[in-house]
Amino acid sequence: MKRFDCLKILASLVDEHMLAVTSLSTNTPFWFNVRPQGPNFFALNMGLCLPFALGLSVAFPKRKIIAIDSDGSLMNDSSSLITVADVNPPNLAAFVMDNGSYAHMGSTFTTRKTDLAKMAQGAGIANASTVKTLEEFSSAAKQAMENVGPTLIVAKVERDAGRVSADRSRTSGRPMREWFMDALRRHPDYKAGR
Amino acid sequence: MKRFDCLKLLAPMVDQHMLTVTSLSSNTAFWSDLRREGANFFGCNMGLCIPFALGLTAAFPKRKVIALDSDGSLMNDTSSLITVADVNPPNLVAIVMDNGSYARMGSTFTTRKTDLEKIAQGAGIANTATVRSEEALSAAAQQALETSGPHFIVAKVEPDTVRVKGDPHRTYGRFMREVFMDAVRHHPDYQQARK
Amino acid sequence: MDQHSVEVIVETLKEQGIDLAVTLPEEPTYSLTEAMREDPFFQAVTVAGEGNGLAFCAGAALGGRRVVFVTGIAGLLVGSWALSQMGMVYGAPILILASYRGDFGDHSGIPGSQLLMFKQVAEPLLGALRVPYRVVNQKATLKRMIQEGSFACQDYSHPIVLLLSGEVLW
Repeated sequence: MKRFDCLKILASLVDEHMLAVTSLSTNTPFWFNVRPQGPNFFALNMGLCLPFALGLSVAFPKRKIIAIDSDGSLMNDSSSLITVADVNPPNLAAFVMDNGSYAHMGSTFTTRKTDLAKMAQGAGIANASTVKTLEEFSSAAKQAMENVGPTLIVAKVERDAGRVSADRSRTSGRPMREWFMDALRRHPDYKAGR
Repeated sequence: MKRFDCLKLLAPMVDQHMLTVTSLSSNTAFWSDLRREGANFFGCNMGLCIPFALGLTAAFPKRKVIALDSDGSLMNDTSSLITVADVNPPNLVAIVMDNGSYARMGSTFTTRKTDLEKIAQGAGIANTATVRSEEALSAAAQQALETSGPHFIVAKVEPDTVRVKGDPHRTYGRFMREVFMDAVRHHPDYQQARK
Repeated sequence: MDQHSVEVIVETLKEQGIDLAVTLPEEPTYSLTEAMREDPFFQAVTVAGEGNGLAFCAGAALGGRRVVFVTGIAGLLVGSWALSQMGMVYGAPILILASYRGDFGDHSGIPGSQLLMFKQVAEPLLGALRVPYRVVNQKATLKRMIQEGSFACQDYSHPIVLLLSGEVLW
């Protein structure tokens, strides 16, 4: 199944007050395409997406936090799964878009022996599953939105056909951070400097 | 079961040409007391024990390399298990002494929801076991040392009641490294490359 | 990475007896690591994280293998804990080839705020970790730089970093 189709479905389930975090890779330009407004933190580097989203879940306990990670990124720091399980946030929905490759470079370990959903279960995340079709993705995503407790969904997607990029000033580095902070400051739940 | 008793039953199973690597914690103090010969890399810091042992398997492909890790250390970098599964060395035996605590500080995640054996299986390691008795450990270790691996064994042990330190000159840092390298250089399989 | 540079590097590594090539794939050095992966001379290992990757290199190196770790500045950052142990404490002879993202002339297209960070951090990081390094950015001296780096690595028994940049990388 295609990454873009999954993210499009996901975007339809996400309301304006949910926060989303994406990893590097086409997760960033695709998510920007389907959900350009609202609090989005884009293009987190390897291993940082899931734990950053976990942090947001603690800062915004009443809102769903959506993490859109990649297999290579998660495997860079798979210990973050243990931390997620232990913090056990009721509001974290993590999606690993597993295309089995490092961008346009070689294949990753998930094309061989590694099963990320199983690692997540071992870490202690009970709601961890793998989906391979759009129907499965759709129903798992809806379930994740309703679950109380961390959910991790590994979505087996095809490699992207081409390179995609998005507006840099909105999706990377310091400029992206400013857009994100601006969205946060206008968020009804934002509590700064109490 | 007690960590020391586990290590005590492992020691005679390890022959003089096998290499061992221990993590920080009393694994180092106890193992250095029990195994006085051979190439032993003691006191490997958090997250580094298993990958370092994995590296030794690439240098000594015909010998069993035994990693004696701790739960806290392994959880610092569980991605190392993915690398182990992919490199797939037949001669690696990774044993995690899981006492559920960070030294004498709080409890770790394995006392709650984390199952290291399951993480290892998810990573792609097929030969795994969790043992809770000395008999079970003995059987699992025997099998690991006699068959092709990699093997991953989690030994559930009680937290240590006292702090134990090994001889600092044999078991830590640069001093330990010299003793280790001396043993490595005398190992019959040691091949220092050409230049 | 420039094809001719890839060939020079591969050939020189072979001459140095370096037959274990370890990496976590990254763009600028991908053509180099692929060339090594396809060459039967090398045992090519892909690692899941640079931390466990560097520890792996250290075990192999102290154990007598000649090893090269191919990464970038990001990888050095992720692996800095492992480098502090394996380098400063244990002096494991690991030759590290790292793409110098963010150095002037970087044609990767990565956003400026990342590149600036890489440029500001790279050399002070290696300085902080006491890892001897050199910036390798000329094709004319590439071979010699690798020979000298490899020799120093063994001689000092310490990780050595060659930061690949300029016409060698782009």
